[in-house]
Amino acid sequence: MIIAKIRSLLWADFFLYSLVDPRLLYRQIGKNDPRPFLLSFTVPAISTISGILALSLLGKQTSFFFTKITYGWILLFIWESFKIVILAALMDMACQFQGSRGNIREMVSLLNFSLFPQAFILPTSMIFSIINFAPVFMFVLFSLVLFVWSAWIAVIGISEMHSIQAGRTVLIFIFPYLFISIVFFFMGLLSLISLVSYITT
Amino acid sequence: MDRNRKILISILAMLVLTAVIAIVHVSLTIQEEKSFSLSVNVPQFGPGVGIARVEGPIGFSVDKSPFSMARGSEDLINRLDDLEKDSNIKAVVLRINSPGGTVAATQEIYQKIWKLRKKNIVVVASMGEVAASGGYYIASACNHIIANQGTLTGSIGVIAASPNLKGLLDRFGIKMNVIKSGKFKDSMAFHREMRDDERELIQQLIDISYEKFIKDIALGRNMNESDIRPVADGRVMTGETAMKYKLIDGIGTFEDAVDRARQLAELPASSPVYDEMKTPLEQLLFSVNGMFRGNGLIQNGLSMDDYYRLEYRLLP
Repeated sequence: MIIAKIRSLLWADFFLYSLVDPRLLYRQIGKNDPRPFLLSFTVPAISTISGILALSLLGKQTSFFFTKITYGWILLFIWESFKIVILAALMDMACQFQGSRGNIREMVSLLNFSLFPQAFILPTSMIFSIINFAPVFMFVLFSLVLFVWSAWIAVIGISEMHSIQAGRTVLIFIFPYLFISIVFFFMGLLSLISLVSYITT
Repeated sequence: MDRNRKILISILAMLVLTAVIAIVHVSLTIQEEKSFSLSVNVPQFGPGVGIARVEGPIGFSVDKSPFSMARGSEDLINRLDDLEKDSNIKAVVLRINSPGGTVAATQEIYQKIWKLRKKNIVVVASMGEVAASGGYYIASACNHIIANQGTLTGSIGVIAASPNLKGLLDRFGIKMNVIKSGKFKDSMAFHREMRDDERELIQQLIDISYEKFIKDIALGRNMNESDIRPVADGRVMTGETAMKYKLIDGIGTFEDAVDRARQLAELPASSPVYDEMKTPLEQLLFSVNGMFRGNGLIQNGLSMDDYYRLEYRLLP
C-alpha cells in the first residue's frame, strides 16, 4: 500500500506546488491525499541538512564535520520542527483572532512545505564556492532570498487557507516573530532589573 | 502532470546528488586534526616571575589612549609595587620598549627597581625594539640585561631642546610680551636667541644630570665610570654592540629573559609567569595601539609639549 503510494508520485505534488503555486499547495494539503502531515516534516530535514552542508563548504572542516552532519543534523531538525510548531500555533491563533477557523494541523504542514526553497541553498552556495566568487556573501544573499521565497509561500498558502487578503496574511505571518521578540525583550529587561535590584539590595 | 512530477523528482535527485558531492568534498578536504588537548585557563599560583612593561616615552604623564599600554611612570611604579608586595613574586622581568623620557620620572623608576633588588627580588631587563637613553637608564638598575641583536640601545646622555622661532616671528611681525621675575625665567623661550649665560646654566643642568646618569649606570652595572664614559657620548648602538661594551649581559628574546629570571631566582622552569596583560581583550587592544592615535605632524612635530624639559631620551 505504502509502496504503491510512493510509486504513484502523488506525494511529489506537494513539493512541486510549493515551488510553482502555493495556492495549489494548500488545496493539495486540504485534500489530505496522501496525508501531508508526516510527509511535510521531510522538508525541514532536507533544508537543515542543506544548510549545514552549505555552511561547511565555506570553511575548512575538521573531523567534527561528521558529528555535525549526523547528531548535529538531528538536533537542528528537532529544533526546526519545534520552531515550526510554535510558529504555526501562534499564526493559527492570529487567524482565529481575525475570525477564521483554527486549523493548526494544516498550518504546520503548510509551514513545513514552505521551507522547501531553502533546500536550494546548497546547490547555489556550492556553485559560488567552486568558482570561488564571494562564497560567504552569496551564501548570505541567497539565504535571505530563499527566506523571502519561503515567507511568500507561507503567506499565499495562509491566504488561500482562510480566504483572506494577502496584506492581512502578511500581518498574520509577522505576528509570531513580533510576539516572541516583544516577550523576550520584556523578559530580558525584567530579568535585568531584578538582577540589578538583587545585587544592589 | 506526470512530466512535472518527473521534473520534480529530478530536482530532488539533484539535491541528493549535490549533498553527496558536498559530503565527499568536505570529507576529502578535512584538515588534519590537532592532537586533542583540553585547555582550561586556571588561575596561576605559586612562586613565579612577574612581568612589568615600559612602553613608549617615560614621563609622569604620557599620551595615554584606551588602546595603548603607554603609561606614566607612576603607573609603572605602582605595578612594581604590587609585584614587590606579592609574596609569590621571586623575580621580575621588566620589558622595556622605550626611547627614554624625562629625568625625574626615569630616576624614580630606577630607584624603585633598586628597592626591589634590595628585597632580594631578581629583576631582569628585556629590551624590545628600543631601550635607549632613559630606557637604558632603567635597565641598568636591573640584575641582568638581555637585548635582541637588533635592539636600539645606548644613547647615554641628556638633552634639552627648544625651537628658536625668532626669525619666523619677526617675519610675521609677532612680538612676545614677557613679564618675568628673574633673567633666567624664560631661558628656553622660543621667541628669542638664547643668551650665553642661559646656555651655560642649562649646560650645567645637563652636566649634573649626565653625571648622575653615569654614576647610576656604574652602580647598577657594577662597572667603573671610566669604562662607561667612552661610549656615553649619546651614540646609539645595537644590542650586539652594547654587548661588546658590556652595557648588557646577553643577547636573547623576552622568553630568554623570563628563563634567565627563573634561573637567577632559583625557580623551577615551569614556574608561573604573572603578566600584566591578562585577557585576550587586553592583548587585542594593545595590538591595535597606534591605529587610532593619530601620529600626525601636528601632534608629533609641532607640539611644544616635548620642549622645555631635560630628558634622557633618544631623539630621531
